[in-house]
Amino acid sequence: MSLRVGSTRRTFLTLTGAAAGLALTGSLPEIGSAMAGATGRTDRRDPFTLGIASGDPLPDGVVIWTRLAPEPLAPFGGMDRRPVEVQWQVAEDEHFRRVVRHGTTQARPESSHSVHVDVRGLRPWRHYWYRFRVNGRFSPVGRTKTAPPADANLSSLSLAFASCQANWEGWYTAYADMAKRDHDVVFFLGDYIYEFGIDRGIRPDSNEPYITQQCVTLDEYRQRYAAYKLDPDLQQAHAVAPWIVTLDDHEVVDNWADDAHPSAPPAQFLVRRANAFRAYWEHMPLRLAQLPKGPDMQLYRRFQFGRLAEFSVLDTRQYRSDQANGDGTKAPGPESKDPARTITGAAQEKWLLDGWTASRSRWNVMAHQTAIARLDTKDGPDVLVPMDTWDGYEASRDRVLGGAAQRKVRNLVSIAGDLHRSVASDLKLDFTDPASATVGAEFVGTSITSGIDGMDLDPGGATLLKENPHMKFGNFQRGYVSCSITPQRWISDYRVVDKVSVQNGAVSSRAKLLVEDGRPGISEVQA
Amino acid sequence: MSIRWQSAVAFGAVAATTLITSGSMPQATTDVQVSTDPQQLSVVGLPCFPGNLTLTMTNTGREDRYADLTLDPSGPLQLSRELFSSWLPAVDPDQPVSAPVEVRVPRDTKPGSYKIDLQVDKTRLTVPVTVNPLPSKGPGSNLALGEQAAASSTHGNFTLCGALDGDNDSEHWDTLTGWNDGTRAVFPDDYDVALAAPTTVNRVELYTLDSTKYPALTNGLRDWDVQVRSGSGDWQTVTQVRGNTLGHVTSTFDPVQADAVRILCLDSNDHAYSRIVELDVYGS
Repeated sequence: MSLRVGSTRRTFLTLTGAAAGLALTGSLPEIGSAMAGATGRTDRRDPFTLGIASGDPLPDGVVIWTRLAPEPLAPFGGMDRRPVEVQWQVAEDEHFRRVVRHGTTQARPESSHSVHVDVRGLRPWRHYWYRFRVNGRFSPVGRTKTAPPADANLSSLSLAFASCQANWEGWYTAYADMAKRDHDVVFFLGDYIYEFGIDRGIRPDSNEPYITQQCVTLDEYRQRYAAYKLDPDLQQAHAVAPWIVTLDDHEVVDNWADDAHPSAPPAQFLVRRANAFRAYWEHMPLRLAQLPKGPDMQLYRRFQFGRLAEFSVLDTRQYRSDQANGDGTKAPGPESKDPARTITGAAQEKWLLDGWTASRSRWNVMAHQTAIARLDTKDGPDVLVPMDTWDGYEASRDRVLGGAAQRKVRNLVSIAGDLHRSVASDLKLDFTDPASATVGAEFVGTSITSGIDGMDLDPGGATLLKENPHMKFGNFQRGYVSCSITPQRWISDYRVVDKVSVQNGAVSSRAKLLVEDGRPGISEVQA
Repeated sequence: MSIRWQSAVAFGAVAATTLITSGSMPQATTDVQVSTDPQQLSVVGLPCFPGNLTLTMTNTGREDRYADLTLDPSGPLQLSRELFSSWLPAVDPDQPVSAPVEVRVPRDTKPGSYKIDLQVDKTRLTVPVTVNPLPSKGPGSNLALGEQAAASSTHGNFTLCGALDGDNDSEHWDTLTGWNDGTRAVFPDDYDVALAAPTTVNRVELYTLDSTKYPALTNGLRDWDVQVRSGSGDWQTVTQVRGNTLGHVTSTFDPVQADAVRILCLDSNDHAYSRIVELDVYGS
C-alpha cells in the first residue's frame, strides 16, 4: 500500500509526526485483509459508492462522513462483517498540500461500515477539504466549512434548505443547481428517504424492491438510504457544503407521532422507529451525541453563526401528541386546540424558549419540519386545516409564537418543508385576526421531487393564498430555497425546476422574498 | 467581522474524536433466540405463489441490542431477503421481532428436499423446504392461482401477487392478500394474469375489497372490463361490470381462447384506488 500523492505523503510526515509515520509504514494488515475476499486477494471494488458528506459545523470542527459499500444494495453493502480501518485527511486546500488534520478510524459492521469523524482543532469560518482512504483507494474529495466564532460579527451568511426527495418522483436537478451555488451550510428538513415507493416512477429503477418495498427492518432502511444516496446530484450537494439535518415522518413511516402509528401497537412500532433511527444516523453526518439509543434520538440541537444567526433545529415528530381528529384536514376543534397536546414535547419547547431568552443573535431561526402558519385549505367561510402541521397543535403554536413575542426575539424566521409546495407567510400571534401582531416570517420550501413536476400555482395553492391573508407567496413546483443573510436583511430565493420528470430540467429563481432587520414578517416579494 | 484564529489548536495533541459506537458488537454467545413460522415449508414452482416464512428474533438477554439474521438458501430456492437486521429490546416479557421472507422456486424445479440455513451470531437453524410438483389445473380449477401477475402499478404497501394467492378474504387485507394500485385517483389501472398455457376460459370471479372496516360500497372496485388476450393479439373485452357495490362478482362470457386475462379497472367507489383481493379464472 502506498500513498499516490507525493505531496500528501510529505504533508503527513511533516505536520503530524510519529502517528502519521506509523500510518505510512505500509504495514496496516487490517486494511489489506478486511477488504480482501476469501481468497486473500485485495478487493479492488470501489467502496465509496455512496459518496462523502460533512455536517454540523462548529467554530472548531465538523463531522466528516462516508460509508464503505462496494455493493451498496447488497446485504451489508457487500462488505465482510469485519471492521475496516479507514484513513482520513482534512486539508486547507483542495490539493491536500496543507493537511491539518488526519487520522485512522474504524468502519464497523454494526454501523454499516459508516464512518463519522468529529474533526476538531480546525479554524473557524473557513473552507476545508477532506477525503478518506481505504485499501489504497481514495474517496472523492469533499469541501466543508466551519462555523464562525460565536462572538463574530459576521457580515453575511448563505444557506440553502431542502426537503422531501421521493426518488421515484423525479430527478434531483435541484441539487445539481444547489451544488453550483456557494452556500456556507445546507439544511435538510425531512423526508430524506421514503419508507415506501410506487413501482411506476420516473426513474428506470423505480419499480425495484429497494425503492418500492415498505421499510420496517434495519436492513431495509439501510438499503433504502443506499439506494437514495447513489444519486450523483445528491452526492455532489453533500460534497460541496456541510449539511445540518433533521428528520420528518418518512424517515420512519408516513405521519408517525411519537410511539403512535396505525401500522402497529406502540411496542412493535418502537422497534421499527429504532431501526429507522439507526439507519438514519448511520447515513447522516451526525455526531455521537445524536446516536440513537434504541428508539430514542437526541436530534434537536442549536447552531450558532457568530452573532448574525442562530438556528434551533427541531424534532417535531418524536415527542408530538398523536394527530388530532384522526389526522387529515379538519376544522379546528377542541382537540386540535387542547393545551395538553404538543408538537414539540415539553422539554424541547422549554429548550427552544430558554434558548431565545439567552439569544444575542440578530436572526433567530427555527429549522424544522412543517408549517407553523395557519393553512386554511377550504374555499369560503368554512375552515379546514391540516392536522399534521402546527395547525393541529394550536396550543403549541401559541406557546412558541407567544413565547417569542414575550421574549422580544429579534428577527424570528421559520424555515420548514413537508408541504411539497412553497409557502411564505407572516407568523401571527392570532392567525384568525389579520390585525394581530406579526412576530416573524416563515419560509416553507417545496420538495426536491415529491409530487413530480407540479405547476406554478395549482387550484389548492390559489385557495391557500385567498383564504390565508398572512400568506404572501405560493408556488407548486419542485426545488429548494437559497438564502442570503446579512445583519440588515434576509433574502429567500425560491429556486424552482420546470420539470423533475426529465433529467435536464431547468432551474430558475421563481421569487425573492425579503425580511428586514427589526421589521417582523415578509417586507417584500419580488416575483 | 472578528475571527480568532486558533492556530495553536490546529497542531494540538487531540486530532479528532472518532465516533465508534458501542453496545452493538456481535456477541460470541448469543442471547437471541431464532424461530420461524412455519418450521418447515412446502413450495411449488408457481411464479406468484411464494412460500411465506415468518422469521422471528427474540432478545432473551439483559441489554437492548441489534442483531443480524442471515439466510443461506440451498439449490434453486430464491429468497426475497437474505438478511434480517433489527433492534431487539430487552424487555420482560420477551418481545419477539418478526419479518417476512418469500421463498420461490422456478417452475421447472425438480421436486425434492431443500433447505435454508439461518444464523444469528453463532446460533444456527435450518428450515427444511419441500418443493412439490406443480398442481394440475384440471377442469373446474382456478387457472389464475399463483400464475404470473402484471399490473399498471402496485402500491408500495401491497404485493403484485396478492390477488393470485388463493386468499379471497377481505378481512386479511392488511396482510398483503390483495393488490392495490399505486396511482391515487388516476384511472384506468390494469391487473393481468398470464395463464400457464393457452386455455379456453368462460368465467372470471373477482373479489374486491369488502371488509367490515372497508365495505365494497365505499372502497370496492366499481367499474371494470374483463379482457383476454391470445397470442400476440390485442386485448379483447369479453364483458363489462358497471356500478358495482358488491365484494364478489362473477362474470361469465362466451368461451374464448386466452393466454392472459386482464381486469381493466375504470373506477372505484372511493375514486382513489383499484383494489382486488383475489382474481379467479375458470374454463368451461
